[in-house]
Amino acid sequence: MQEDIVRMQNIIKTFPGVKALDDVSFYLKSGEVMALLGENGAGKSTLVKILSGVYPRDGGTIEVFGDNIREMTTQKAKDLGIAIIHQELNMCQHLTVAENIFLGRERTKGMILSEKEMNKAAAEILSRMNIELDPEELVGNLAVSKQQMVEIAKALSMNARVLIMDEPTSALTSKEITDLFTIIKKLKKEGCGIVYISHRLEELKHIVDRVTIMRDGRFITSMDFDQKQMDEIISHMVGREIKQKFPRVSCPKGKKILEVRNLNAGHMVRDINLELNEGEIVGIAGLMGAGRTETTRAIFGADPKESGQVFLDGKEVIIHKVEDSIKAGIVLAPEDRKKDGLCTKLSIRDNIALPNLDMLCGKLGIVNRKKEREMTEKTVVSLKIKLPNAEVEAGSLSGGNQQKVVVGKWLARNSRVVIFDEPTRGIDVAAKVEIYNLMNELKQKGIGVLFVSSEMPEVLGISDRIIVMCDGKITGEMMTAEATQDLILKYATQFESKIS
Amino acid sequence: MNSKSQSWYKRLFAVRGMGQVVTVGFGLIVMCIVFGIINPTFFSGKNVANLLRQIAPILLIGIGQSYVLITGNIDLSIGSVVGMSCMISATMMTKGMNPWVAVLLTLMCCLIVGVVNGLLVAKCKLPPFIATLGTMTIARGVAQIVNNNYNTDAIGDRAKVFRDFFYYGKTAGVYNTVIISIVLWLVFNFLLSKTRTGRHIYAIGSNIEASKLSGVNIVATTTKAYLVSSFCSCVVGLVICATSGMGTMDAGNAYEMYAVAASVIGGVSTLGGQGILIGTVIGASIWGVLQNGLQFAGAPVAIRNIVIGAIVVISVLIDVIVRSGKLGKKSKIEP
Repeated sequence: MQEDIVRMQNIIKTFPGVKALDDVSFYLKSGEVMALLGENGAGKSTLVKILSGVYPRDGGTIEVFGDNIREMTTQKAKDLGIAIIHQELNMCQHLTVAENIFLGRERTKGMILSEKEMNKAAAEILSRMNIELDPEELVGNLAVSKQQMVEIAKALSMNARVLIMDEPTSALTSKEITDLFTIIKKLKKEGCGIVYISHRLEELKHIVDRVTIMRDGRFITSMDFDQKQMDEIISHMVGREIKQKFPRVSCPKGKKILEVRNLNAGHMVRDINLELNEGEIVGIAGLMGAGRTETTRAIFGADPKESGQVFLDGKEVIIHKVEDSIKAGIVLAPEDRKKDGLCTKLSIRDNIALPNLDMLCGKLGIVNRKKEREMTEKTVVSLKIKLPNAEVEAGSLSGGNQQKVVVGKWLARNSRVVIFDEPTRGIDVAAKVEIYNLMNELKQKGIGVLFVSSEMPEVLGISDRIIVMCDGKITGEMMTAEATQDLILKYATQFESKIS
Repeated sequence: MNSKSQSWYKRLFAVRGMGQVVTVGFGLIVMCIVFGIINPTFFSGKNVANLLRQIAPILLIGIGQSYVLITGNIDLSIGSVVGMSCMISATMMTKGMNPWVAVLLTLMCCLIVGVVNGLLVAKCKLPPFIATLGTMTIARGVAQIVNNNYNTDAIGDRAKVFRDFFYYGKTAGVYNTVIISIVLWLVFNFLLSKTRTGRHIYAIGSNIEASKLSGVNIVATTTKAYLVSSFCSCVVGLVICATSGMGTMDAGNAYEMYAVAASVIGGVSTLGGQGILIGTVIGASIWGVLQNGLQFAGAPVAIRNIVIGAIVVISVLIDVIVRSGKLGKKSKIEP
């Protein structure tokens, strides 16, 4: 019987306003590959960040190789042989491959760096991994997939006994994935315990021994992996009951408002075709990194398109930049309110007026204060934004009200299509319902609503039609009446088979 | 044979920021030739000796600023530390102190500024612009207060050995100032390119988060970079003191910006992570050659300023254009 090399018990972690981990326990044996599964926001990344010392825990115990670790730091984790490959690349672009691999653990002779020795050692690690890379190449010159391989090589060079991989294959090509799996199998034989986080369920059968499933920051179950039980695994992942009420209004479906044909923009937006009709809300579902945000940004003109046409009310509109799209009547309420949606230091009045200054300014470019005030008042009243007065900083409002301001600034100009990107992220349940009501109102007014969401119950509860994306492509489309979470997840994980 | 010469070429350009160094190095040569044609005495032994002595202080503060810029920060206190060094050493010497003791004490005072800068930026997480703007103003105040808001009197005959060591003397036919700057350049170039600390300076400038996760000590490394900057500024202050034989309160005024210019012309990135000290040599040389050459060609100060300002912008602009071309290639999707 293999011993548990990692025992995490009753781990609790709270971020301001969110309980990210609630009484989670996790065990890892030597020589096994444990897949850590769950939807976006289930707490997988938080859990492994606690294990590797990036975040401190608020409660619970961690035992590594039988020793109780009171305080885990990144240094301590490293000393224990816990290596983590983060989801986001953490490479120094200006340093070479070898320099990155040995960063923080440089080999020296006296005070002089042993450049040659490190290059040689790096070359050995790389060849052990079957990667053709010049250790003296600058990391900034490498493709993302190669950078990912360097990150893995770095972890291997530390002689890790516990290796955590957070979405290691998302940027890799099929050959590289095969090589990676070979390495994983080799490490497994050497007795290394591996925690493997991936959304690509079809990869699991190649390497995984056991799975641990998390949902909403809680531990659900741990079991031996069996390909036949895939359906059971998926239902454990999504199994939450939908408690929230989703207000639904039905409208007769009207004429076509928006049509996007063969849209291409980078590798995250490939050959997108979609339609949007009067009186319907179309939800775009998918996993993180499926290209949903990129698609909305490309439609809106925030990112350049490679090819594709956009038709509004049957007429083609040429969108090169955001101004074109706003003028045509397609507007976007972006994902990150604080970063992209609002000027948080400006007043609410300023924020609402900002995209509409063309309508508010006289010939000399002087803002008509009276019109501006009227516009603000109208927006605040019609959206029921709760605020002390329109002069307060937009950043001081609650999340839900901020979101209303983001939308409100567009409604002042009779837009035809409103695109919401994750409109309810980080806002409380009551405010969510208000945003849903707002979307329903738009729908009743005959405005097309397109919305991106990672929360499946929300997509199922609010949209009339659902489009599912994966890997920059639309992989499925269905009427909500026919949709289930399992079906959406099936489409959302329909990666092009990279492994033969 | 072919593959060998190719790898030689590749290795040269694989060195951080070598591309721009080669470009501006070429520019420097062209510049020298043009000035030589306009006025042949430009290449006279006397002018070359003077020119090198003019370049030396710019090179020194350039080295300091390069260190800090490569960590992704900036040091605005350089000019004031130069002034502080000049005033403190001169005041002590006019009071009759042994020049070498005075130099040592001055050095300690200046290094305090470096430590404070490093801690404010790395430990207290102040924006480097603000932190060093503060220490810049304070250091200038110190320069003014040490002699009760007056420039000092002449440091006198006892300090002749000091003046010779830093400015007037020659070793093997080369002015000491030049020798000092070459020696310091060799030392700091070695530290930056061959030691662990040097590697960490590049790493935190390139990606501070990745460095932290790799176990690099951010506070210590940043502070070391600021220490180098203060040390170099201190030496330049001593050179200025030796030159004029007295302490002047506004010595080193605006030097921090000259230092940025020398670094940036030589290919050091203000965003951090990139640059080599040979570039700073060329940047400082371009600065000195332009000053000297334009003066020789009879151009008024105003014209010199306009030309030098334009050179700073153009040299970096070329680099941006070249690099954005490269980036365009890189962003292509792999098959």
